[in-house]
Amino acid sequence: MTGKKVLIADDEIHIIHVVAIKLRNNGYEVIAANNGAEAYELACSEHPDIVVTDYQMPFVTGIELIEKLRKNEATRHIPAILLTARSFAITQEMQETLGVQECLSKPFSPKELLKTIEDILYQRAVAVKN
Amino acid sequence: MRRQRRLVWAAIAMVMASLCIAALTGPFHSGIGVGWRNHLVAWRLIACCIGAVGVIFLGLAYHRLAGAIASIARQLSCDPAGSMDLQAIERAAGTVQTRLQEGQKALHTLEAELSDLRIRSQLSDRQKQHTEAIIYSLRDAVVVVDESDRLLMANVAAAQLFGFDPAQATHKSLDQSIDPAYKDFVQLIQCSRQSATEATRREMQFARPDGPHTFDTIVSCVFERDQVSGVVAVLHDITREKEVSQMKNDFVSHVSHELKTPLASITAYSEMLADGEADDEQTRKEFYQVIQGQAQRLNRLIEDILNVSRIESGLIKVQKEPVSLTILIEQQMQMIKGFAEEKGITVTGQKPIVYDQVLADKDMISQVIVNLLSNAVKYTPPGGTVRIETEVNETEEVVRVTVTDTGVGIPADEIAHVFDKFYRVSANNKQAKGTGLGLNLVKQIVEKVHDGRVFVTSQVGVGSTFGFELPLAAAELAGTTR
Repeated sequence: MTGKKVLIADDEIHIIHVVAIKLRNNGYEVIAANNGAEAYELACSEHPDIVVTDYQMPFVTGIELIEKLRKNEATRHIPAILLTARSFAITQEMQETLGVQECLSKPFSPKELLKTIEDILYQRAVAVKN
Repeated sequence: MRRQRRLVWAAIAMVMASLCIAALTGPFHSGIGVGWRNHLVAWRLIACCIGAVGVIFLGLAYHRLAGAIASIARQLSCDPAGSMDLQAIERAAGTVQTRLQEGQKALHTLEAELSDLRIRSQLSDRQKQHTEAIIYSLRDAVVVVDESDRLLMANVAAAQLFGFDPAQATHKSLDQSIDPAYKDFVQLIQCSRQSATEATRREMQFARPDGPHTFDTIVSCVFERDQVSGVVAVLHDITREKEVSQMKNDFVSHVSHELKTPLASITAYSEMLADGEADDEQTRKEFYQVIQGQAQRLNRLIEDILNVSRIESGLIKVQKEPVSLTILIEQQMQMIKGFAEEKGITVTGQKPIVYDQVLADKDMISQVIVNLLSNAVKYTPPGGTVRIETEVNETEEVVRVTVTDTGVGIPADEIAHVFDKFYRVSANNKQAKGTGLGLNLVKQIVEKVHDGRVFVTSQVGVGSTFGFELPLAAAELAGTTR
């Protein structure tokens, strides 16, 4: 899955930094945003293959970002992973309704995040092929 | 004579029985249905008949006694010379005396029993009044209906909640007395009665003038010979308890989020180091610094949370002594100067003319000053200024400290919340990081511990002024503070 573009949205600069290093070391292109509004603009202009977003961000939250992506024809198809320190905030039902492919609790493992991104992109590729 | 004695005791027993029935059935007359009331009237009639027969028997017994006395008198009047048999006269007199004594004994017993019954009846009445007084004084609403859903009793709390006059509504159907807005409550009572459920518990929400209130409602059926004879409903207002529970949940949720955030960085960077993802020494050093910084952040957060909790629960140890705010401010300004200079921010101070001694815990007030100063520096762009001023108002007997910056400012709709726990101004998140507890801690220390006041004014793009007031030490010691 190298060469794929990942959009990371998180108001914690250190989280963006460590995730970017991990993904770049594994061949991914990384674009970053500090809040939901900025992330949405980047998603529209850069067309990432997957979005990794924090739940709680200023201006536009992670949930609101995903809702906006799903409403936009151009970004509806982009899979999303939600990172949250409030693991009980998102139910399975909400995940399916919002179109969140996976929800990871903070603190998370960068290795686990990488594997989750790879799995989702692989499933997408297989689905497109079929 | 034996027959006489039996007659007297039978009479006494009958009168006692009638009095007992009357005493026992009296208190229940007002608290039961029509059917049962008719039964009680019948019992009372029977009691009267038994009492009347008893009195007749007593009368018969004394009539016989009077007869014996009259017989002796007749004998005496027919024999003026005294030729009567003296022994016969003595025997007759003895009989009369014995009968009189028996009669007296019986009377005394009767009187004692009557007095005892009267006392019991009074005690029963008093107990009933006592129980009613307790029910009427309860803060919980209490409603009692009979088997036909007619209101038997309702206390003041119930009358206020459902908006009716108990005196007017008694013996009327419940759904006619209560506003249709509370039909859920009426239906609950009706269902409980129809299903003969011993006790039903439900949370019910009613609209009140000051907003919706939630009530923990318990409805219990009263049974008599396996039939429902009435229903008792008690409503306990749990609105405040639910609010507190929600606040606690929100607090736990916030705290967990805030603690996990630095922990996420520590975990991620540690894993990267362990997996050898830091290629060079410079990157490794950077990772170590992040881990260290986040660990310190976590520590500060935990300390802030603990301090806020301790102050709120009153467990914190406070050591108040006369201190000069000016001296504390100068100390904290020295500590913040390095941080401010790194950002290119000028920090200045202005001392009061009059001595500004306050009665305060030195460490806590130092915390307040450093929180305000560090916030001002954090949210001021490079090249800006931060000024701290102290003013003594002798008329109001307070010392006022203000920290004014040329920072980013706070939007008008967010100013009211800046002192809330974990609140962070959305627009300023990019400018600086924080726990969201610093200003809350300032508020708790100033207002809760030192009986002071915090305030803030701000304009977006211009800057903010945060401040606090504390009572002057002299005024506080003299007990003349506001």
